[in-house]
Amino acid sequence: MSRVTYYILIMIIILGLGANWVIEKANRSYDIPLLRPVPEFSFLNQRGESFSNENLQKKITILDFMFTSCTGPCPLMTLNMSSLYKDFDDVQEVQFVSITVDPSIDTKDKLREYAELIGVDDGRWQFLWSDMSAIKDLKKNGFMLYADDLPQGHAIKFVLIDHKGNIRKYFDGTDEASQKVLRKDISKLVRELRL
Amino acid sequence: MQLFRTFAILSTALTYLLIFIGGMVRVAGAGMGCPDWPKCFGRWIPPTSLDQLPEHIDPAKFNMVLAWIEYCNRLFGALVGLTIAITLYLGLKHYSHLPRIKWPLISAFSLTLFEGWLGSVLVDTVLNPLTITLHLFFALIIVMLLLYASQEVYYLENPDAEKNSDYPSNMQLLFGLMAVALLAEVVLGTEIRGGLEMIRKENPMVESQFLLDMLGPFKYAHSILGLLITILSIFIWHGSVKRSLNPSSLMVQTSTTIVLLILLQIVLGEILVFLKVIPLIQLFHLWIASWILGLVSIQYVAWQRSRVTYE
Repeated sequence: MSRVTYYILIMIIILGLGANWVIEKANRSYDIPLLRPVPEFSFLNQRGESFSNENLQKKITILDFMFTSCTGPCPLMTLNMSSLYKDFDDVQEVQFVSITVDPSIDTKDKLREYAELIGVDDGRWQFLWSDMSAIKDLKKNGFMLYADDLPQGHAIKFVLIDHKGNIRKYFDGTDEASQKVLRKDISKLVRELRL
Repeated sequence: MQLFRTFAILSTALTYLLIFIGGMVRVAGAGMGCPDWPKCFGRWIPPTSLDQLPEHIDPAKFNMVLAWIEYCNRLFGALVGLTIAITLYLGLKHYSHLPRIKWPLISAFSLTLFEGWLGSVLVDTVLNPLTITLHLFFALIIVMLLLYASQEVYYLENPDAEKNSDYPSNMQLLFGLMAVALLAEVVLGTEIRGGLEMIRKENPMVESQFLLDMLGPFKYAHSILGLLITILSIFIWHGSVKRSLNPSSLMVQTSTTIVLLILLQIVLGEILVFLKVIPLIQLFHLWIASWILGLVSIQYVAWQRSRVTYE
């Protein structure tokens, strides 16, 4: 073998090892912080059944605050949540929770209609309501999200909650790149849960 | 002149390295490591902790490892751009009277600026698949232009390099077919890559070896065309090495290396399709493809050169 070939081969091996190290490092870089547990709450869903913090156990939950008549960022949030709902349809460990911040308008029936309208046909996506003060308290003190000017001033965050009911991470519910990260993080938590 | 030659070769080599690094960013999933462009999280040096992030960027997108991988890609891209700029300057200084050196360099430099802009579009569109393919496509064009300029400089210094070689004159069709086949193969390859990503998005928990089963006919088309390329490369090798008189050592080495690399590509490709999608193998599969394109262009230019001398 000529000397040049020899050098090229060595360089390729070094590049390969380096790339392998970088790829490994990238694969292990997705750590999801442990923030705080979701406090106790007990609301009702669109079918009038109770849904409490107990229902967060053994599931990976993506939760947001919305209201059905919202025309601002909510349609985009709903679109993104629907896309997750559709893509994770064969992953039984993942559930979705949307809590209305406009309970005077978003009654149980209204929420059920809304769920049907956007194609929710199973129990994987719950729409919750309660009285305004309980919602405000959970949003502000439980999830540390802005809740002073409801319903208009609701946060656009998606909250990722693990199978033990811990808040793990917040995501911009309207941002495409954030959604990509969220998908990776959901898959990671599901894999951990399945272990 | 000596300096120009050095820079021509250096810019070619660095562009190849940049293609490798770009492929690495892709398989490491670090393409959105910096969600803004040209800065990274609003800073010229990527942040190392969450509290350095600007308010308007969602902190969920911050991953320090990915940010630095992408940032190194951008830094290296800037270095390559600078090297190509110097090469262009030296080229214009010494060879502005030679269109076959001047124009490839001007084109390569313009396309390099375009590539930088395309990089910003990639970030804006959150890695639009078509833009990713274009980003690779223009990188391949740039590297071939630089190779061509380097080879022409080599012929300036060694005007007799192909003087004694006599290759079959009827190889134009073979080279044409090869060019079309290689181009289609690269497009099919990127389609497979993009298709895998699409399926992975819709089936987030499915293991990668099952993803390929869902991919459909693309992978077979890629394999079949790969076989056709192998046959073409053997024909070209046979023409330029066996059926020729006094082939230059450049021609012999290039032709032989092309056949060997294509065989290696088949092995790597079949591992990816039938065993497992291994990121490192994906990366080399793409990188070697860029080598093959470059070597075929060298082979073609050498063949053309011999005809010019001959006539």
